[in-house]
Amino acid sequence: MKVRRFLLPVAICLILAMTYGSITAGQARWEPYGPYVDQIIMPIIKDSEAQLIAFNRGDVDVLPGLTRPADINIIKDNPNAEITMNYGFHMFYLCYNMRREPLADDVLRQAIAHVVDRDNIIQTLFEGYMLPLAAFLPPSSAYYNDEVPTYPYNPEEAKRLLDEAGYTVDPATGIRIDPKTGQPMRKMTIYTPTYEVAPTSAELGKIIAEACQAINLPVEPEPMDFPVMLDKIDYHDFDMYMLAWSLSRIPTSLWNFFHSSNDVEAGYNNPGIRDPELDKVLELLYDAPNEEVAKQAADEAQLILARRQPYTVLYSRPYMDAFRKDRFEGYVPMHGYGAANYTNKWTTLNIKPVRGKGGTVRWLLPEEPKVLNPCTGSSAYEWEVMGRLYDGMMEVDPETMQDIPWLAKSWDIETWEPAPGQEGTVITWHLEEGVKWHDGTPFTSKDVKFTVEYLKENQVPRYLDNVQKVVKVECPDDYTVKVYFETVSYWHLYRADLNFLPDWIWKDVEDYNTFEPWLEAHPEVSGLTKLIGHGPFILDQYKVGEYVRLKKNPIYWRLPAN
Amino acid sequence: MGYSRYLLRRLGYALIVLFVIISFNFAIFRLMPGDATKMIIDPMFTPEAKAELRRQFGLDDPPLVQYVKYIGSLAKFDLGLSFSTRRPVINELKERLPNTMVLFLSSFVLTTMIGISVGVYTASKRGTFADSFVTGAGLFAYAVPSFWIQLLLLMLFGYYIPILPIHGTMSAPPPDGFFLQLLDRIHHLILPAGSNVVIAFGSWALYTRNTMLEALGQDYIVTARAKGLHEKTVLRHHALRSVLPPIVTLIFSALPGMVAGAVITETIFSWHGVGKYLLDAVMQQDYPAAQGAFYLIALAVVTCNLAADVVYGIVDPRIRVGEGGAK
Repeated sequence: MKVRRFLLPVAICLILAMTYGSITAGQARWEPYGPYVDQIIMPIIKDSEAQLIAFNRGDVDVLPGLTRPADINIIKDNPNAEITMNYGFHMFYLCYNMRREPLADDVLRQAIAHVVDRDNIIQTLFEGYMLPLAAFLPPSSAYYNDEVPTYPYNPEEAKRLLDEAGYTVDPATGIRIDPKTGQPMRKMTIYTPTYEVAPTSAELGKIIAEACQAINLPVEPEPMDFPVMLDKIDYHDFDMYMLAWSLSRIPTSLWNFFHSSNDVEAGYNNPGIRDPELDKVLELLYDAPNEEVAKQAADEAQLILARRQPYTVLYSRPYMDAFRKDRFEGYVPMHGYGAANYTNKWTTLNIKPVRGKGGTVRWLLPEEPKVLNPCTGSSAYEWEVMGRLYDGMMEVDPETMQDIPWLAKSWDIETWEPAPGQEGTVITWHLEEGVKWHDGTPFTSKDVKFTVEYLKENQVPRYLDNVQKVVKVECPDDYTVKVYFETVSYWHLYRADLNFLPDWIWKDVEDYNTFEPWLEAHPEVSGLTKLIGHGPFILDQYKVGEYVRLKKNPIYWRLPAN
Repeated sequence: MGYSRYLLRRLGYALIVLFVIISFNFAIFRLMPGDATKMIIDPMFTPEAKAELRRQFGLDDPPLVQYVKYIGSLAKFDLGLSFSTRRPVINELKERLPNTMVLFLSSFVLTTMIGISVGVYTASKRGTFADSFVTGAGLFAYAVPSFWIQLLLLMLFGYYIPILPIHGTMSAPPPDGFFLQLLDRIHHLILPAGSNVVIAFGSWALYTRNTMLEALGQDYIVTARAKGLHEKTVLRHHALRSVLPPIVTLIFSALPGMVAGAVITETIFSWHGVGKYLLDAVMQQDYPAAQGAFYLIALAVVTCNLAADVVYGIVDPRIRVGEGGAK
């Protein structure tokens, strides 16, 4: 059974969801120029009912990140609303503790995978608004392998597998015998967050446990306090648990989650899989010298993981965002990030009023951004603001997910010798000329050099993975910069793409942790704060607890011609 | 002399209680299972980055060292840096405290004024339809979950009769000019404060009604009526005055409860206050932020209780005599 066949129910779900109401999963036209609106006002509305009311009565024009079926159904009934839907990088999974018997046995995990009825779960718990997923990378990833075998819902096949492997049913207890002990299997539990915290996760635990019981496996659900659950996972004190990951388009998450070196307390290899063949492939993926090798390694890793089943993946949540189509157009659906996420540069640039020019788009923020410091900002809400102030060296094509040259008009990936007999990667960025910071200072290679060195010198945790293997940075001229890494890896290309810091502001910052750039006035340009980037919008005002106001960058290097 | 000793003793108790609370405040978050850094680490963080975060948060120190640092900082009113924002907790609380005070004081003043007035009125109309209606409505509002009433009001005045703002303390952006901004803020206050009044006025009305009914059966009320005084005068100057001392002390005792209730109101109406801050801090295991918010609430509770003791000592001399011994 191949994933292609598995995608049929995906398509059915999508069609069902789009049958009634205005939900689109297609692509809008977009261009690499903008912005077209004069300002973005982001009201901070935390309560989900209030968010819905605010959208329906027109207080906000963009309502990002719809998740509750009831909310989606209400918005679908609004003739002035359009909901965009895209594959996301979300993955909900059942994790097995492979360090413990009998879950160490591949056959047992494969049998459990066969009793997971994804379609039924998605229809009953999510009214069809989730996408069934059985692979270890979501379909929005360019590294998703659609040839990976899956375990379709088939309880009879699960029973056959177990019977063949010697897990026969004990007539006295009705529980299967563990062939290794000759005794009825011990009780196994599935940890989930509580019903109060995550009702669907808790219900899923119950559904999977009941499905296991139906094939005579003694599995019980156990909802528990979330921090307690995380603690138990950290210390490997579990049989099974259910949680979700938010991944990215870079597939090195496979190395994080499944390489044996990460099978340590509080490490990310929670299932405790230790497979030399898999390790070898994951090492190749992690240190891939080029995209082709990375793709091959990712494909192979997914095949091994599908067979070994350290996780049974259940579904992926699509990105669903609502827009007031009576007022705005030009929003661009994008695989992996949705239409309203800050990573989607194209909606930020292309959104424009249906009537007239300029204007204000009101873009809901569901939580407080709290701290607008690119070194310490960690929540998605902070980056929803800051992400619109910066540009990257590369951007992502919304349809193909391929890299698009942006601040860097081109780049080279070469190797060098950090020491005799050793090989490292050199990333050379060729920068666009004419890009300026919000205060008018030209963006040059020196800014790149300063940023890398500042982040490395200060050991900023958020960027440690990006810079810890950088040996040096050279600036042959103002618009060429070479970043030297001590190891070879294709992913260094992405590690060298940072949120760049202006040195004339940051060089005097003693403690980046306590620096509050959004609260301090720019030393020279009135109306600006010290939080400046080179992106399409400028931070104009952050009224804590109320709203954030971003204004169009009048010197943006990608402004439309007229 | 007796009153001074009474006050000193009460102050001593208050300080001891405060010390115990802040010690518990330190211990309780560290006893919670889980790692504080877990909430802000994503899968791409390296082991080195995780270790660096723990070092920066001071979580590598032994608990006793952390406790000594904590008490030392509190003495200087330094509440530390929030784990999730790296900003001084005291600054974050200062940003939120005025909003909470505005919401809480306006709700409290309105609730007590309306509740006591309704209580006095229903006591004077005992057995009538007005009495039954108000008593029933008060009991209903008191009995149902507060968030349910608030969500109903949100739907009613936010969507079906969209005349009131449903989130925040001001428009985004607010209008220009002081007077317009003041009106804008009052406009935003109506729904959250009004919903608090709807929720809480009933308990005040019932308490006042019952105490008033007790007072109205006393001999001095019969005497006042026998003297031919007007019924309003009997109610206001005789009955109400005699039940005011317990109501006043109840006001002080009820103040901390209203602070706790702010968590729900602030969440539903996206009101940027201390209650929501506390909730977020607990959920994210942000020790300094949660400790700071709890410290503030503990300070409010202890101060209110102390104020209640002081007021009680003034209005009822028997209390201070009993505490300090007969004089």
